[in-house]
Amino acid sequence: MDFQTLAQLVLPGLTTGCVYALIALGFVLCFNVSGVVNMAQGEFVMLGGLLGAWLSIKGVPLIAAVVVATMAGAVLGVLQERLTLAPVRRSPPFIQITITLGVAVIVRGIALIQFGKDPLSMPAFSGDDTFELLTAVLPIQTLWVWGATAAMLIGIYYFLRHTDVGRAVRACSINVVAARLMGVNAERLTVMVFAIAGGTGALAGAVITPVVLASWDAGFVYALKGFIGAILGGLRSPVVAVMGGLGVGVAESLAAGYLSSGWKDAIVYGLLLAFLLIRGGVFLHGRAALTAGGGH
Amino acid sequence: MRGLAARKTTLALIAFLVLVGGYPLLFRNSYEIGVGITAGALAIGAVGFVLLLGYAHQLAAGQPAFCMIGGYTSGILCVKFGWDPMATLLLGALLSMAIAYPIAAPMLKLRGFVLVMGSLAFQLILVVVAFELPFTGGAMGTYGIPRFAIFGFTLQSDVAFYFVVWAFVLATIAIGLNIDRSRIGRALKAIAISEMTAGSVGMNTVKHKVQMFVVSAGMASVSGSLFVHFLRAVDPTVFGFVFSLNLVIAVIIGGLMSIWGGAVGAAIVTALREGLRGLSLPMWETVIMGALTAVVLIAFQRGFAGWISDRFDRLTGARGGKPPSVTEPQPTALPRLADAPQAGTPLLDVSSAKRSFGSLRAVDDVSFTVEAGSITALIGPNGAGKTTLLHLVGGYQPLDSGTIKFAGKPIELLLPNRIAELGIGRTFQNLQLFDNMTVLENVMCGRYRLQTSGILAISAKLPRVRRDENDVRRVARDCLKFVGLQGAENLMANELSFGHMRLVEIARALALQPTLLLMDEPASGLNDTETERLAELIAQIAALGITVLLVEHDMRVVMGLADKVVVMHHGKKIADGPPDRIRAEPAVVAAYLGTEAYETAA
Repeated sequence: MDFQTLAQLVLPGLTTGCVYALIALGFVLCFNVSGVVNMAQGEFVMLGGLLGAWLSIKGVPLIAAVVVATMAGAVLGVLQERLTLAPVRRSPPFIQITITLGVAVIVRGIALIQFGKDPLSMPAFSGDDTFELLTAVLPIQTLWVWGATAAMLIGIYYFLRHTDVGRAVRACSINVVAARLMGVNAERLTVMVFAIAGGTGALAGAVITPVVLASWDAGFVYALKGFIGAILGGLRSPVVAVMGGLGVGVAESLAAGYLSSGWKDAIVYGLLLAFLLIRGGVFLHGRAALTAGGGH
Repeated sequence: MRGLAARKTTLALIAFLVLVGGYPLLFRNSYEIGVGITAGALAIGAVGFVLLLGYAHQLAAGQPAFCMIGGYTSGILCVKFGWDPMATLLLGALLSMAIAYPIAAPMLKLRGFVLVMGSLAFQLILVVVAFELPFTGGAMGTYGIPRFAIFGFTLQSDVAFYFVVWAFVLATIAIGLNIDRSRIGRALKAIAISEMTAGSVGMNTVKHKVQMFVVSAGMASVSGSLFVHFLRAVDPTVFGFVFSLNLVIAVIIGGLMSIWGGAVGAAIVTALREGLRGLSLPMWETVIMGALTAVVLIAFQRGFAGWISDRFDRLTGARGGKPPSVTEPQPTALPRLADAPQAGTPLLDVSSAKRSFGSLRAVDDVSFTVEAGSITALIGPNGAGKTTLLHLVGGYQPLDSGTIKFAGKPIELLLPNRIAELGIGRTFQNLQLFDNMTVLENVMCGRYRLQTSGILAISAKLPRVRRDENDVRRVARDCLKFVGLQGAENLMANELSFGHMRLVEIARALALQPTLLLMDEPASGLNDTETERLAELIAQIAALGITVLLVEHDMRVVMGLADKVVVMHHGKKIADGPPDRIRAEPAVVAAYLGTEAYETAA
């Protein structure tokens, strides 16, 4: 196992891991405020990638395409929350989850109709050159993915730590009933976190598209892998979720490189299953009984 | 009016036979017959999914994993070993159930979304396995699967296969309906409302969920086997994402809580898909399916079958509008407890029970006994720890230390359902009825611990299961007569007034044939007349030989009824004895009125 092979697997793994990390963060934020696990989380990424690529193919300047794609993700998040989740707030959780699954399917279907079956690509933001880091050779676009992810993470960290609204989100994650009693408007926060989840997901999708292509059916796999990251922190801790997402990216890249690319997914899902079964009891008592993860 | 459910079943069966029989007469070409076959195969999986999702409330999205196991078992054994297709179908189902059983309990420990993801991961692993294993044919799959045959008799025409598939659907529905109308069906519905209340009548909350997981795995497997015999090939994509989705959507559109709904939904989904293809709009299929899922779940949670059932009720005026004709209680309706313990011997023995919440000592070193055949009342000001103590006896909360013995046996470590099995019934302070069942069914739930039929006997509806159900129905009616709710049997539990709901709860606890009945503030929320009747009823219950331990605020009830009163204050027992002595006890008066009041009075 020489160092160069290792680096050549770990660093690209971190790049896809960035996308999983942002999805994981979206899961955690939405779950803590609304109590819903949003199965459409990955569709935001898919939509951001496809819309960005499609707009740039149509001749829209790159920067505008990325901005529009990000806005579209945020709007989709808000629409999803207002139209499909707000009316069923009192229904049992499994109904709400199934509804988010329905939304995921709608978004997929529309993407298929609008953008077609074939994956779309997007030019790299600053040329197709490569650079060398720790002996691994990487496309320049990697820096955009890392940079954008870092910027979003810092932004969200600041928001959660240093703004009143962010503190309210954290209060909800500790005890949503107590937060409501203290006057936190959970309805408004819910809309806000869905917008954040949608926007960050779509932006992640747009910046990764030059590296991996965007396809109408990619969302579900993104969601599942992001979910693995989120569950590592018990769906509570944003920090563990981000680390978990990055870890899933690295793990699948290593599994593909050292074992076999065919078994790659089976290994990642096997790890998820094993983890869930071992930790299963933790989720037994619902979210009130889980201890607080906080934002540190 | 036991006929209502039976009448609906008959009508549904007639509709089913007419539609299934009529379809091949109207749609004759081989493509159309093929559509009928795929709808049937999907229906089998969907009915299994209704049992899992609608009844056990477990959204295990990985159900198609078992379709894959069935499909591949059938395909590989038929092609490579020349086995009989019917034999491979049965073997596949057994294999699926054998795989489902050991993974069910750990899998179902996962709740809600975690279960969705966990079961999905299981399915995706199987997809990879199908791609990678040497004998599955990899991405190409296994092909050249023969026509379906039943033990050597090959079905040469598609129409014959069509009828065989729908015969399987009917068998699946029959199993589903048998489960629905049994102690297991009632237990699943009860658990869906409240695991705590289900436990209070002795229901085992894990066991039946595992059973539904295994049964639905078997059904999924049969569905998968039939599919591959129709396609004559199987590859890893056959039971992929789209198939999972169709299954979920079929169940949602058809009606989550209806066995028939699974079949109806499968037919609708298949028709819709083929219709869109016919209109050359296949691209819209996913969008429309997704939109239907969301709309049905937001606006019609009971699905198509639920809608039809409601229409039927409204058209025939079968439900609603009728106030319950409540009769006088009939204290002779129930026999005296046969194996009542010797009166006066200690039946329940609580010794040094302690329970704290943080720094609050809710129950602090309390000891007392309840003598067999007596009515013992637990009183005390608000927050004295009475309800907590009752929870400790019922097993709803663990003791920090101390022992509780029932008929000489320690019970402090048992779960509520085990305690109920021993013959301890209870009613709750805030009413705990199963809103999704009729009054009669609620009371029948109480009989759970005395019924022994297992899942196999129930699925096949053996004669002894039928007899047992009839007995249970009769006893439940007697319990309702006893409390005076004879006329309300077929109303839904939530259609009653508060006072009547309380009586249903008491009837349910009596159906359990308890040796000891725990009642938590039975008079709360009742008006004066109702309270008087309640006191009479409690006396009549005691006259059956049932020992009663009640927590109560209403002093008229307590002092008139109780043989013995235990007084608690700030978690401690401050007095116990016959009511007359308690009334004069200085510490008790002080606790209720304050020390000064006592001194002034003295």
